[in-house]
Amino acid sequence: MKEQWRLLKTENNSAAKNMAIDRAVLVANSEGNAPPTVRFFTWSPPAISIGYFQSLEEEVDLDVCNKLGVDYVRRITGGGAVFHDDELTYSIVIPETHPQIPRNIMESYGRICGAIINGLSNLGIESNYKPINDIIANSRKISGNAQTRKLKTVLQHGTVLMDVDVEKMFSILKVPNEKIRDKLISDVKERVTSVKHVLGRDVSFSDALEAMKKGFEEEFNIELVEGKLSEEELKLAENFEKFFFGSKEWNHRR
Amino acid sequence: MQSKSVYKIPEGKLLKISLKHIDNRITEIQIMGDFFAYPEEAIEILEKKLKHSFLNRESLLKKINSVIKENNIEFIGLNAQGLTEGIMMCLK
Repeated sequence: MKEQWRLLKTENNSAAKNMAIDRAVLVANSEGNAPPTVRFFTWSPPAISIGYFQSLEEEVDLDVCNKLGVDYVRRITGGGAVFHDDELTYSIVIPETHPQIPRNIMESYGRICGAIINGLSNLGIESNYKPINDIIANSRKISGNAQTRKLKTVLQHGTVLMDVDVEKMFSILKVPNEKIRDKLISDVKERVTSVKHVLGRDVSFSDALEAMKKGFEEEFNIELVEGKLSEEELKLAENFEKFFFGSKEWNHRR
Repeated sequence: MQSKSVYKIPEGKLLKISLKHIDNRITEIQIMGDFFAYPEEAIEILEKKLKHSFLNRESLLKKINSVIKENNIEFIGLNAQGLTEGIMMCLK
């Protein structure tokens, strides 16, 4: 019998809530109270997440965020700023010692990205892992990924771009020099793609989710069984949301 | 004095340094960017340990390497040379 991991689907959460759920699952898994877990989720309202080491005010125009109703949060993972709008986001939480997870961090990025590459292939999109943390299709980025290891547990989360609005993204992200804004937008348009762009049609969230679910099952030779957050995880997530990811102290610390 | 630098690590990520210094010594430093460090919290240790360091390429590199070793820091998209370069660029 195949090993069973938990599948979570949590749609339409705030930025702080989404990051709080990832951390709650990480804590529960590290204590042996939750199985390896793959979660698919969306963001409502749309949100910007920044990497652990980034400066919020240097990267993000908070006035524009407030005007457009875009949420923002600092991640516990490194990497860059991401505008989470029309995308499918995933996270995986699994013990560092699990036989399916390479101990080497770069290798483990490649392995987990393999699940997303399978998922994209299930949608009819050929893609490759591009170190450090991207997946590319037709030489353009279609997915960005970020991993942390805490409490002997791996958390990797990442995006699969369903559609992308580069102009909107750059109205929220600060650019080093206003004069190069147009050039930057055209450069990013050249470098980024989406499921919609590659396939030339819209793909529903549930179809994309199903393709990615299969992608994980194929990559890790497991069965994903839909489950729910436990009482402990819900409580942890509530606390992390309120006192950590929702706090000015955390989000503005750099 | 206060200065900043932005440095693209060769084959790595974008490093942004914010630096305060007096008499060629660091009084405050923030190491920012879209790189990865494991464990993440070690960056704060590194920032603390770099306080009072001389702004000299050789001694900075030595200091950074020793903090990396002491704290088992693993950088991805960043390295000691790149970090030293980013800090020294603040003086240009």
